[in-house]
Amino acid sequence: MIRHKYKFQTLQMARRSICSSARRQVENKVSQKQKMFQEDNGMPIHLKGGSSDALLYRATMVLTVLGVGFTLYELVKASFPQKKD
Amino acid sequence: MAHQAHAYHMVDPSPWPLTGAVSALLMTSGLAIWMHFHSTTLMSLGLVLLLLTMYQWWRDIIREGTFQGHHTPPVQKGLRYGMILFITSEVFFFLGFFWAFYHSSLAPTPELGGCWPPTGITTLNPFEVPLLNTAVLLASGVTVTWAHHSIMEGQRKQALQSLALTILLGFYFTALQAMEYYEAPFTIADGVYGSTFFVATGFHGLHVIIGSTFLTVCLLRQMLHHFTSEHHFGFEAAAWYWHFVDVVWLFLYISIYWWGS
Repeated sequence: MIRHKYKFQTLQMARRSICSSARRQVENKVSQKQKMFQEDNGMPIHLKGGSSDALLYRATMVLTVLGVGFTLYELVKASFPQKKD
Repeated sequence: MAHQAHAYHMVDPSPWPLTGAVSALLMTSGLAIWMHFHSTTLMSLGLVLLLLTMYQWWRDIIREGTFQGHHTPPVQKGLRYGMILFITSEVFFFLGFFWAFYHSSLAPTPELGGCWPPTGITTLNPFEVPLLNTAVLLASGVTVTWAHHSIMEGQRKQALQSLALTILLGFYFTALQAMEYYEAPFTIADGVYGSTFFVATGFHGLHVIIGSTFLTVCLLRQMLHHFTSEHHFGFEAAAWYWHFVDVVWLFLYISIYWWGS
């Protein structure tokens, strides 16, 4: 019973602490970001954020190149008479 | 280390104009392929590429402005001109659809019964959901102005609340319009009435969605402390766009819903 009461109190405390952090206040990380993006490392802006930038860039470029290829293929295919069954 | 001796922004080389142009190629060719060969692959690929381009390009602009300090007063002035010119181009876009509406409705042809609304069309009651939609958008214009003043006064929590309320009102409008579209007694295929109604209100609805998205990004940025009381142009641009969307609706309401009924 005592253990149950303690568990209830802890639950109440957890709820209270969540409430007291005023609806998830977001920490101000702007100065950290400013430092990171002003570092003189020669990286262009679209890659300066780190490895996730590079991953997203590479994925976009792959889609770009494949997309151009696919478009040319479809347009050439469409230029020829289609065999109607 | 070389430093620039001027206040302007010489941007880093970027791949996004290329990927954006390619996405335009894919979307247009994809549209043609869809119409003729029933395949949506190319167009969908173009759409994905467009979304990736927009996300990364605008992410980079936020980095350049908020984190690198490149948005000096002359640069900001240029951004302001840019947004104003873009909104002006959108005004002309809608002007075309209003022209089409008035062309057909001011001189209705014998095929329509010589009257407007055309014979057989049951119009929507302008004093029901359309009037509510008008009130919703006007209210959202008030809340976005409230948000602006909150940002300028450094009232962080109020800015978040009023901006969130604006976005909710935008979603409410979209939901109401979607319901109206579903329940409407006429379709886009119902002659020139249907065409002018759904094309004009449809493009407007798309702009409401775009505006709501822009405001949502501003809400996220406000949460992340990007805006200062002196410098928050991203928000101002979103607010201008939102007011434009509101004004277009007012013209739509008066012309198509009210006069046209």
